[in-house]
Amino acid sequence: MAPSQSALLAAAIAANRFGLGARPDDLPAIAEDPRGWLKSQLTPETELPAPLQALPSTLEDQLAFLRWLGKLRREGRAADVDIENQRPGGGTGGAGMEGEGFSVERSFAAEFGPRLIAAAKARFDTAVTTQRPLFERLVHFWSNHFVVSSAKPATVAMPPSFERDVARAHAVGRFEDLLLASTTHPAMLLYLDNVQSVGPNSAFARDPDPKASRNPLQQRPTGLNENLAREILELHTVGVNGGYTQADVTSFAKIITGWGYRAPSLRLVGQAMMPGDLEGRDLFAFDPEKHEPGDHTVMGKTYPEGGFEQGRAVLADLAVHPSTARFIAFKLARHFIADDPPPAVVDRMALSFRETGGDVRAVMTALIESPEAWTAELAKFKRPEEFLVSTFRAGPGPALPGPAVLAIQREMGQQPYYQPGPDGWADTQDRWMGADAVWKRVEWSIATARGLATAARDPASLAAAVLGPLASAETLASIARAESPAQGLAILLASPEFQRR
Amino acid sequence: MPMRDSFVQSRRALLRMGAGAGLVGVAGLPGLAIGATGGEARFVLVILRGGMDGLSAVPAHGDPAHASARGALASPPPGAPGGGLVLDGTFSLAPELAGLHRLYGAGEMLVVHATCSPYLERSHFDGQNVLENGTARPYGADDGWLNRALAAMPAGGSDRDLGVAIAAQMPLALRGPARVTSWSPTIAPPVDADTVARIARLYAERDAALAEALTRGQDANAMAGSGQGGQGRDPFVTLAEAAARFLTPEEGPRVAVLEIGGWDTHARQLGAYSALLRNFATLDAGIAALASGLGPVWDRTVVVMATEFGRTVAGNGTDGTDHGTGGAMILAGGAVAGGRVVADWPGLGPRDLLEGRDLRPTTDMRAVLKGVLGDHLKLSRAALDGAVFPDSSGVKAMGGLLRG
Repeated sequence: MAPSQSALLAAAIAANRFGLGARPDDLPAIAEDPRGWLKSQLTPETELPAPLQALPSTLEDQLAFLRWLGKLRREGRAADVDIENQRPGGGTGGAGMEGEGFSVERSFAAEFGPRLIAAAKARFDTAVTTQRPLFERLVHFWSNHFVVSSAKPATVAMPPSFERDVARAHAVGRFEDLLLASTTHPAMLLYLDNVQSVGPNSAFARDPDPKASRNPLQQRPTGLNENLAREILELHTVGVNGGYTQADVTSFAKIITGWGYRAPSLRLVGQAMMPGDLEGRDLFAFDPEKHEPGDHTVMGKTYPEGGFEQGRAVLADLAVHPSTARFIAFKLARHFIADDPPPAVVDRMALSFRETGGDVRAVMTALIESPEAWTAELAKFKRPEEFLVSTFRAGPGPALPGPAVLAIQREMGQQPYYQPGPDGWADTQDRWMGADAVWKRVEWSIATARGLATAARDPASLAAAVLGPLASAETLASIARAESPAQGLAILLASPEFQRR
Repeated sequence: MPMRDSFVQSRRALLRMGAGAGLVGVAGLPGLAIGATGGEARFVLVILRGGMDGLSAVPAHGDPAHASARGALASPPPGAPGGGLVLDGTFSLAPELAGLHRLYGAGEMLVVHATCSPYLERSHFDGQNVLENGTARPYGADDGWLNRALAAMPAGGSDRDLGVAIAAQMPLALRGPARVTSWSPTIAPPVDADTVARIARLYAERDAALAEALTRGQDANAMAGSGQGGQGRDPFVTLAEAAARFLTPEEGPRVAVLEIGGWDTHARQLGAYSALLRNFATLDAGIAALASGLGPVWDRTVVVMATEFGRTVAGNGTDGTDHGTGGAMILAGGAVAGGRVVADWPGLGPRDLLEGRDLRPTTDMRAVLKGVLGDHLKLSRAALDGAVFPDSSGVKAMGGLLRG
């Protein structure tokens, strides 16, 4: 029995608004139970998606960086080996490739460029091929909430493994687990500088260990660094208006002094040969020598001295704070539904967050069951990555080589794993609908359509297959009037219904 | 903040021997913003990413320590084989910068030497961040000084794009509250106009926001021209021509940002395969293309070429240079009171160098930028000391850089 129009509409919304775009044969199956199809994806992954399985482990990523530094040292380039000093000129990672002779930048690009390209391609291929697109969307969401960017030299190789250890491992789990996995991950501790933070009254500050500077990943510590504490409050948990003060930031920063990681040792490398590679948290280490002693107060609650547990207790409280519930609910609703999401939906999600102690699955269920989430109006403008992925889900496109995956997304302003700052990619239309950005989307719609046109079915039926009832009469008419299949496909991919979700 | 003593304006002995010049910073009141031809002032920032070797671009051949300090990288004096183009008794210009030298002769090019941003460490990444964010430290702001300057400009008019970046991603310098746009040549294959027209029509019927963006995108492309570089031309020249097409119309943007990378010359700065010399030639051709494209608008234009830091004075073991501190900044344009090298020259003697290796910076780059923005774009001192370059009231705007 053919599904009803209303069931097809819900299926199209499920596949596009909550997923990564419909594949040509998706909608009839989803139409049987659109909400159930989404909820069935709110379960942990049983195994890594195939494209990700070949990627290096977190430990390997770290070792690669250390090996590279060590190699420079052996070659007598120690003067150049300063952790913050290693960066190809320009913001794109590709500069400094020309010329001859040695350059730190060229060496850096040669070592890490291929790794980043492979990781970008694996992320893209996973998104294009996944049967659990809502789960994948949540992976992307959390790795853009807990951000580690390759734009920072010290963490250039780490975002893919950070994403796997944190966002992918806990995508539909408890928020507290996400927060703890993020905050104890070497990539985050490096990205937001906590490895450099030293308690002013710690044993270390009173008697600095001269050996510490020998670790090339740890610069000579200089005192308290508030960066991670501030961003946890402002960006990860309660939000900028969540009710904390500068004094809370300073106290919290003191509490998490000593949170760092052990540099990979031979012992760890040996362990990694065992089944199950080491994750970021396995590399975490608490250094009591650098920890600021004493009781400290954060947001009205005093946490007694307790080493690592003191910070863990703050995270546990922050993870279920009402401001966090509201902040996360709003951010999820904004991501899936609309730049300005309906307050009632946010309220319901925040309530669910509070009632369940931050169970992502419950919060997402509240969103899926909200009628406001199923309106036919396409309020969200896809970000470049979402647009490109949905294009390749719509048809058997030309296989994109890794460098092209990176280059196209960079041209559209969203180079994978390269968020400009710890606040991540913006999630509102005004940041993505610039003149040049839209022009480039139109260009790529036309270019991609040429690649698809040879293989794909005719554009009108493809429009019906991937947009269902979301396709407007105007779009269908324009496709019908197209002078060639390629032009019709270009119009489909560029159409407002395909650019939005 | 790592403000080393060199910035404390301890005006050390001026080694400069050129005619008449002296410090410009103290004397000279703001000139007229608008050039002889009338119309709005235009400003172009060229970001030289990677750390340009200022002593190769503008060698101090007249410094007694020049030859010994630079070794194999020392530029022969003007007139000698391989020598530079003379600027004055102390300074010359790399021969590959012949076009800029002609502008110097016409009084439309000026060098500020021994300058640096307030960032005094040696990371490209942090250095470029400071160069663009306008504060004294990395990540001191999450938007850029040039955008904040546009936002502070008197009656700029907000119904138009006030700035344009000729770049795929908006450089930090131009990010911020003021309305700006970007354009870059595409890597996508060429599109056919008919398909674009059909998509535009569909947007007009269905989606006002997309329709407006696409219209603006098409306008930008029309303004930028085809964007197709000819055979063998450097992409930077194409970008410079595009910048000129944006800036020329009266209702065009007030400022543009161009970028050129490849300055991180750790090896082989000399000889036929030198990336540095090739880059000089490219920069020179780009500025020539900009000047020619701007036509009469050039007369009311100031171009500032700036980099995140200079490089070591001495060569390293591979005929290159490593990350340093002080360097050169080049100003060009019809509105520039050029034909001079402005420098509180610290000298190249062993004891003159910063940490024994770098050209000691004696001019905070912000002093130059403040001088240009104040005189050229009519920004108030309060805006320059606060919003544009936060907490910089201790850095006085350098006056007299423009024709008055």
